[in-house]
Amino acid sequence: MSPVTIQRPSRRRELRRAAPFVLPFLLLFVVVYLVPTGYSVVQSFFAVKRSGLGLGGAETVFAGLGNYVRVFQDGDFIASLGRVTFIGVIQVPVMLGIALVLALLIDSSVSTGRKFFRVAYFVPYGLPGVIAALVWSFLYAPSLSPITGFFASIGVDVSFVTDGALPFSIANILTWAWTGYNTILIFAALQAVPAETMEAAAIDGCSGWKAALLIKVPLIRPALLLTLVFSVIGTFQLYNEPVTMKSVAPNLPSTYTPIMAALRSLSGNDFNYAAAQSVVLGALICVVSVLVFRASARRVD
Amino acid sequence: MLNRKARLTAAAVVAATGIALTGCAGDTGASTGGPAQITFWGWAAGYDKSVALWNESHPDIQVKYETITNGGAGGYDKMLAAAKAGTAPCLAQIGYETFSSFLAAGLLQDVSQYVKPQHAEFPEWVWGNVGVDGAAYGVPVDTAPMGMFYRSDLFTAAKIAVPKTWEEFKTAAAAVKAADPKARIMNLPTDPYLYAGFAWQGGAPWFGVNGDAWTVSLDSAANSTVAGYWQGLFDQDLVTSYPAFDAALFSAWNSGEVWAEVGPVWSASLIRDNAAKSAGKWAVAPMPRWGTDDSVGNSGGSATAVMKGCANPKEATEFAMWMSTDDKSVSNLIESAAILPASTSGLANAALDAPESYYGGQAIYQVFRSESAKVNSNWRWGPVMSTTAAALGDGLGKVPTKSATFQDALSGAQTDTVSALEAQGFSVSK
Amino acid sequence: MTVTLPSPTRNEPVAGVPNRRRRRAHPLTTVSPASRLFVLAVMILFAVYFLLPVWWLVVSVTKGSGEIFSGNGFWFGESFAFVENIKTLFQAQGGIYSRWLLNSLLYAVGGGIVSTLLASMCGYALAKFRFPGREAVFGTVLAAVLLPAPVLAIPLYLVFSATGIINTFWAVFIPSIVSPFGVYLSRIYAASSIPDALIEAGRIDGAGEMRIFGMGVRLMAPAMVTIFLFQFVAIWTNFLLPSLMLADSTLQPVTVGLVGWREMQGNPISYTTVVTGAFVSVVPVVAMFLSLQSFWSKGLAAGAVK
Repeated sequence: MSPVTIQRPSRRRELRRAAPFVLPFLLLFVVVYLVPTGYSVVQSFFAVKRSGLGLGGAETVFAGLGNYVRVFQDGDFIASLGRVTFIGVIQVPVMLGIALVLALLIDSSVSTGRKFFRVAYFVPYGLPGVIAALVWSFLYAPSLSPITGFFASIGVDVSFVTDGALPFSIANILTWAWTGYNTILIFAALQAVPAETMEAAAIDGCSGWKAALLIKVPLIRPALLLTLVFSVIGTFQLYNEPVTMKSVAPNLPSTYTPIMAALRSLSGNDFNYAAAQSVVLGALICVVSVLVFRASARRVD
Repeated sequence: MLNRKARLTAAAVVAATGIALTGCAGDTGASTGGPAQITFWGWAAGYDKSVALWNESHPDIQVKYETITNGGAGGYDKMLAAAKAGTAPCLAQIGYETFSSFLAAGLLQDVSQYVKPQHAEFPEWVWGNVGVDGAAYGVPVDTAPMGMFYRSDLFTAAKIAVPKTWEEFKTAAAAVKAADPKARIMNLPTDPYLYAGFAWQGGAPWFGVNGDAWTVSLDSAANSTVAGYWQGLFDQDLVTSYPAFDAALFSAWNSGEVWAEVGPVWSASLIRDNAAKSAGKWAVAPMPRWGTDDSVGNSGGSATAVMKGCANPKEATEFAMWMSTDDKSVSNLIESAAILPASTSGLANAALDAPESYYGGQAIYQVFRSESAKVNSNWRWGPVMSTTAAALGDGLGKVPTKSATFQDALSGAQTDTVSALEAQGFSVSK
Repeated sequence: MTVTLPSPTRNEPVAGVPNRRRRRAHPLTTVSPASRLFVLAVMILFAVYFLLPVWWLVVSVTKGSGEIFSGNGFWFGESFAFVENIKTLFQAQGGIYSRWLLNSLLYAVGGGIVSTLLASMCGYALAKFRFPGREAVFGTVLAAVLLPAPVLAIPLYLVFSATGIINTFWAVFIPSIVSPFGVYLSRIYAASSIPDALIEAGRIDGAGEMRIFGMGVRLMAPAMVTIFLFQFVAIWTNFLLPSLMLADSTLQPVTVGLVGWREMQGNPISYTTVVTGAFVSVVPVVAMFLSLQSFWSKGLAAGAVK
């Protein structure tokens, strides 16, 4: 077989080659993501001014940074940002820790019934978010919950819906729903760890948990980073779960999370303010994601 | 990691498109030759049948009905988005509580001239719900005056008289607790729209119009009185505090843990469908009064609103008026959705005289029919009602856990509402 | 034509790269039975945690109407009404539930397939063609994942209104076929599992770029199946987008329909029916996962390309 020489083709030729592959996706991407984003950002610099009773309609005026000033003076919105940060801190590490352990366990030779467990762990992810939240709201509702009932029968008074318990109850729904998804992602990454590496380690005396932690985990760092960033983003965009919880926990405010606050502005027909709120949220997510990437990059030598 | 230049370029390119889209407007219901086409968005059961009845007999005006999500659950958001895009329907089902908000957003069309001939069909207080200063922007469909649903078997057995005033209600509440320590007379009204009915009755309006400005009065003295009454009942542990529409509340109605419910007419089907085991044991009495003041609260009801872009307002109004007054249409709506018609013709419908087996054979709608004339006429819903309701709901939700009082909730809603109004440029008079 | 595959580098481990040899289970000599039992116990504990609410769903579906909140939530009730509940579900509101299921399938399967294709093509090109602006495109696509989707829905609605596709199948389908995550995954996968030599050899043989891509697809298959599966679930479980874009209830997917029913608070559609609907809606997703699982793990274990 003759050796193949690989030439470096010109950039223009590469562009022509790439175009039919990239353009279909890119065109749709611009329409579905970039145009709405651009629209939102532009709208955040405008405001609607009505007069009198408002019957005569409204005019849109340029408002500069007015909406953003309002955002930073909005105590409820700032509180919502703090809340999702808190939920992220208590939930994401726990969930990813569990996902990592479960993925390692499924991957290890010590486990049996891998297929069953893979499906079992995946099922919650297959339940639509609103449905999962619905089921959990029935499981948390003070007078209906079989769990509360069970504890009451042994004399323990638990409530999942007090102000203090709410972040943890919501964190639980998130962990329940998303661990399986992350387990699958990590498990898939573990498949790429070459058998030779593990065998070599075993020969050197490193096997079982030691091997898993010291060898497998570092090798799947990119996948772990991916799940971390996606989880952080997902937490900041929290919406379905608190909204469904509201029906069993009336003490849950309508501005519990930033998205809820922005959608409340939308329902109040204050589109420009909602745009500003979502730009601020998007910017915060950006900053946090970049920080997470930087922090993990520093650890990889 | 993020290529800012690429993003900024992309954003700049689409910004122009974005600004261009802002001015985009379409039109609804082109009126070329042929039958007039009218689109109608709603969600209540039975509306589609009424539309079908109309279409059969009116080939020159055809109505296209589309079922959308319940207004409060996203239907109104959809209407707002459509209006912004210029693709709003001609007619839309809008609850009275949200009607003023659509009005204040400049999204409705004045159809006073088309409804004038049938002005006598609806009492003045009902017209007040579909417009300001005597103008009408839609046609009322139904109302929801309040009444007292109670377990007549339990009251009789405990020899407690059915209360006629709020003073008597308080006494009865204590008597119920004495008769059965685990039972209470009623569930605390913490849903903002349910609670509004009590403020409505008590002559404690939350909003008003003063010339060319809105007034916001959630913190008025009259409101403090009503709030203080319910706070008192809660503080003395005379009421349960389940969330509104909660399955636990339904269970309590069934089991006799809660003996009564002072609520709007549509509570009749709510109780009947969710507390099946206690069938035949309930009855309906007029809502307790404040002293000698013979007025009643209202919590609910909707209208068929005419949206601004509608090209056939005359035909649209004609249909809407027919739907609310025609005998066949009203019979259908009563049967499908158990509504109480707002129109005089509608209220005369014989279906309202039917005995209800769930309520021990009582013709309960006769009570509501006579009560509907006594609804307090001094009430107006607000121009950013979703914001007000959200803020009030948040506050009232804290009452059962004792982290706030009714008064706190009202004050919080007052502040949030005024700032939302001022931010959008409305005139607010103190 | 045979090509030697490069072994995956240590620095770029990726999902499902075909190994040269199938991973053998380690010899179990050093693992004690106690250890095995412990691992099994832990895994069962978590399985119980994940399946308990699903079990509640299963049990509730068998209960008669009105029994759903009485008695023990985690065990069966007095009556076994599963068949009845299913019948009621499919008859409710003129049989609209089956319509919703069909819609969901159309959106999710159709959207999944098309999005996988588009994302794979784009990822392949990003991985294999060094064109100007490559990193800018990739960075922008990744950044899109950060955007708060619920708030983008409204501007997207306005964009679509201008083109008149609101309240049609396309209003939900078009956003469903854009998968930035899919582009990311397929780029990584294509980079490591499709050797440059393969492409060059194809070009020298005179094959068109699309044909070469077709060959590469076989190597990228496990990644493509993963993208399809995740996109399928994402579309199947999406609520906000379809509820905003669609006014016509016969175009709705199952999620929107069920939430609408739940809003009725038990009348005229009972909670039992809502719960039954939720249960039935999970079945296709689990079935999809089960059927793809065997293909997926076969792909992971595949040896050298023939």
